[in-house]
Amino acid sequence: MSGNSNYPLKYQLLLRNVKNTVENLLISQLANVWFVYGGLSRLHNAVEKVFKHGCKVNNSDGCPDFWTFVQGLDWLQPHNAKSSSLLDCELKQNSPQYLKNNKASIWLYNNLENHSLSQKLAWLLSDKTHLHSCYYEDAFLCQEKYAEAILLCLRAVEHNQPSLISEIKPCLFFSSENVQNFHKAHRRCSSFPDNHLHNIYKTATRSKTYDSLNAPERKTFHSDVSKVTKKNNFINGKLKPWSSMPDLISSTRPKQFCKASQSKTTPSTPIITRSRSFQINTDKIIFTKDTVEEKNKEKNDNVMPQMKHVIFDNINIIEYTQSKNTTIKKSKKIDNSKLYCSVSPTRSSSDYSFLTALAGEKDYKRAPKKSFIEEDGKVLPPATGYFPRPVKGQTLASFLTSSQFVRANAELDRENAHFSISEAMIAVMEQIKCKQDLKLVDEQGDESDEEIMSLKQRIRLRRRQKLQETQKKMVIGTPLSNATTTTEASTSAYSTSPDYCHSDCISSDEVEDLEIDESSNLIDSKGLSVSMASLFSESDLLKKPRGAPDGASDVLSAEGVALSLISRFSEKQLPRASDLEWLVSEEDAPQALLPLPKSWPVDTEEVPPTPLRGNKDWAPPRPQIIFTPQPPPMHFLCCICCDRRKKLMVKQNYRCAGCGTRVLPQYASKFRFCHYLGRYFCTLCHTNQVALIPGRIIQKWDFSRYPVSNFSYRLLEQMYADPLLPVFDLNKNIENISKNLKKCRTYRLALYYVKDFIKTCRFAEKIQEYIERENPYIYMDPDVYSLQDLVNIRSGDLNKKLESLVDICCKHIYECQLCKARGFICEVCLHDQVIFPWQIKKVTRCKKCGSCYHISCWKPEKETCLKCARLEKRKNLKVENDVTTSDVQ
Amino acid sequence: MATRKKVLLKVIILGESGVGKTSLMNQYVNRKFSNQYKATIGADFLTKEVQVDDRIVTMQIWDTAGQERFQSLGVAFYRGADCCVLVFDVTAPNTFKSLDSWRDEFLVQAAPQDPENFPFVVLGNKVDLEPRAISTKRAQQWCQSKNNIPYFETSAKEALNVEQAFQSIARNALSQQNHTVDLYSELPEPISLTKTAPRNNGDSCAC
Repeated sequence: MSGNSNYPLKYQLLLRNVKNTVENLLISQLANVWFVYGGLSRLHNAVEKVFKHGCKVNNSDGCPDFWTFVQGLDWLQPHNAKSSSLLDCELKQNSPQYLKNNKASIWLYNNLENHSLSQKLAWLLSDKTHLHSCYYEDAFLCQEKYAEAILLCLRAVEHNQPSLISEIKPCLFFSSENVQNFHKAHRRCSSFPDNHLHNIYKTATRSKTYDSLNAPERKTFHSDVSKVTKKNNFINGKLKPWSSMPDLISSTRPKQFCKASQSKTTPSTPIITRSRSFQINTDKIIFTKDTVEEKNKEKNDNVMPQMKHVIFDNINIIEYTQSKNTTIKKSKKIDNSKLYCSVSPTRSSSDYSFLTALAGEKDYKRAPKKSFIEEDGKVLPPATGYFPRPVKGQTLASFLTSSQFVRANAELDRENAHFSISEAMIAVMEQIKCKQDLKLVDEQGDESDEEIMSLKQRIRLRRRQKLQETQKKMVIGTPLSNATTTTEASTSAYSTSPDYCHSDCISSDEVEDLEIDESSNLIDSKGLSVSMASLFSESDLLKKPRGAPDGASDVLSAEGVALSLISRFSEKQLPRASDLEWLVSEEDAPQALLPLPKSWPVDTEEVPPTPLRGNKDWAPPRPQIIFTPQPPPMHFLCCICCDRRKKLMVKQNYRCAGCGTRVLPQYASKFRFCHYLGRYFCTLCHTNQVALIPGRIIQKWDFSRYPVSNFSYRLLEQMYADPLLPVFDLNKNIENISKNLKKCRTYRLALYYVKDFIKTCRFAEKIQEYIERENPYIYMDPDVYSLQDLVNIRSGDLNKKLESLVDICCKHIYECQLCKARGFICEVCLHDQVIFPWQIKKVTRCKKCGSCYHISCWKPEKETCLKCARLEKRKNLKVENDVTTSDVQ
Repeated sequence: MATRKKVLLKVIILGESGVGKTSLMNQYVNRKFSNQYKATIGADFLTKEVQVDDRIVTMQIWDTAGQERFQSLGVAFYRGADCCVLVFDVTAPNTFKSLDSWRDEFLVQAAPQDPENFPFVVLGNKVDLEPRAISTKRAQQWCQSKNNIPYFETSAKEALNVEQAFQSIARNALSQQNHTVDLYSELPEPISLTKTAPRNNGDSCAC
């Protein structure tokens, strides 16, 4: 290690930041590391700190600016002819808003995202004079060993190969005392005893907090607003917690906020989470608060109430939130509001009302974003491969980015989307090829001269050859000057040249195939801790819209790849999504009907765990609608319950029902019970979010909220407004339990009959509008209810609404000439009084033909319906007639 | 005496779906014809002022749905009809065969005081179309067997015989009305149903 002995702690910290982030990225075993929510920006932050450390050049704000260093690529890069334009080119790519004004930052971001940073950094480091012209002697990047380690980290991410990290010498990131605490552990820390972590953290924080908060952050304090935001995020990142803490913010607004906070948290979380660090650096934080408050004063008020509801009674949380001083809370709040505004500008201010929701009570009043039900009213079957159909005339790009893909589909469906989309892409390419060939034929048809034709052909061939040559060069040229490269040739998954889109995809596929489960062994307890919690949480991952081109995390999703492929063509060349001829259409091979094999070939070898599809011991949870309440919660004081817990845990093979993580039996008590699915989940998959349980409402009219897994929480949220519950079929007795429900049923039934009159009456246009404002199932399918309905029935809101609607309709019908004429006459008494089917107290109705009678005139069980009898008679007569006429013929 | 009194004649058009009930009514009232088929939902009516002999009468023509699928809607409007028009399609034998059941159904639901002598008119529509399935003779025979119902062959498309047919309908309806107690003479409240508005009953609403 060359250079300054004052700095090793700082080096260690910087490296550990990067390393931990990388480990957390890779542990999730996703094909695309950027799928880990917020992963990219975390890593970006960590790496940026490395780049900034010891940088000689400062920008106008006094922050270190490594842009000059980056510009070295102009002459260091092998393809120097292109490079200058490339640098600019890269800047134009999509990058998060908060980077907008920082060229170097954007460059870093893009290269990280493209998986090309390690290679470029290697180039930059290869020139010592350039390096030293930009950095001080004691800069992080000037320390060869640390630079190497950083390159290793970057490569590990780029190749999705956690094993590379193990090549970094532990002495680089651990001081001697910490090395002793180095433990190999379960890859999820959720079941890890708290005390153990305490010790490690105490030692770690003591020695490092000062440093960690000093150098790099000082630079981000002042200057423009965006910088301030960034600083806030950083603090937010620190508070952002530990897995067992129910995600506070997301419990009040799960979707919008998580996105913001996750994407911007800094990677230094693991070390500084403890309150201790704040105490040490109080002056600093107060400073932040001041700057921020000045700028965001008015926003503070809006968000104030939220903090009150943040704390759940969970031992872990209390432990961590106690010592937060108000200052921090405030800055966090500001942060929230800021992020909130910037992330979801479409939400109206009225949406802030949810902030007043009580602790643990989710405000369900806002319309849920996604419905469990398709537009055409079909309930999504949980196990069929769902793939959206394009609308006619829809462009390919809009189809791929359409919200249909955004739906939080089951993992399997998303995986299956790869097949469908690759098929679509093949179809696109074939159609384009076909078009071009046709054009070519046309052109050739014009050329009568053979010589010209052959000449053209040769030019074409030559061009193709050239292209191939350059391609090869690029691939070979990439691992250049990598002092620490492993034996594996770096295939540079993402070269900067836009020409290589295809090769990129191929190499990325290879990356996907890598089995990365071994990574679990490499992760030490530290890496798994707090940063893990905020980096990787199943719900967060799933909340991220897929296919939306805003973030980097979906580059390798099926839609992402497809989009990048078609981006090579102009809109004109591309066929419409609806014009695609699918190689195997849904009609040809309905996926739902494909038979599943009855038996599997039994492998004698250990089957590698595949988290997506599950394995022999465990299968991922599927979206289910469960009508029955799960057996009552297990209370840890009760012995019988302990027994039951044990039984269930055995049944689950001591695996988390959400992610399949194994837990040691002695730590099984850390697992949490999901009252919806009736399974135990690890603390990552179950953050003690509470929700209404349909089964409990239906069976016991019990509207209390119970803790559920994140998966169930999301599912329940999705189905909240969907009419899925045939309440009366599920519980015959429920009418007696709730009078409101009974009443509501009569209103719904009345509406069911009334709507036929109103909807067909030309004098009732206004009332038609009233009815159409309601969700169609309310009047079309009177026996199904949504969770939302049941909640509103309990509160009486729905009854009030429906009562007034029925009143308006009835009033119209009784006064309207046309509607009245469409009423019924009792055939038995032939009284002039017009009767209607919804007058259930005096009118009864034949279920077969729909005719209405007075209750006193006709008993449906005893007597046959007069009209039905007539119809029957006529039918028989007709059959006879047909027989006779055919006999005559 | 009769001329002084404004008369409302309630005419009900019945027949299988697609025989041209709506088209006939439209041709007669609006002198318009559309080739597009649109199923009538429930029932609807149009009114037209007609002169029968020296009397001006208002014809309220109720066009009905031939389809049976609108079960939630009733046929209370049969009540108090002055004349019933049975329509069939001369190119579709089934529509002719079903005339019986339409007639039956009407008599049951309308419950006229004198079912034997209630005025019906039969219209064989779509005579512009070929090939014919029901001959004039066959239709006339049926009409004769049902107490000499007047029979007209019409084409709503060509406006053939429509005017004459409805003149006859109006006349028949008027004759029927002369026989019965004049219940519906006041125009603002032309339908007898108003007398027994269900609203009066406390339990009329489901709630």
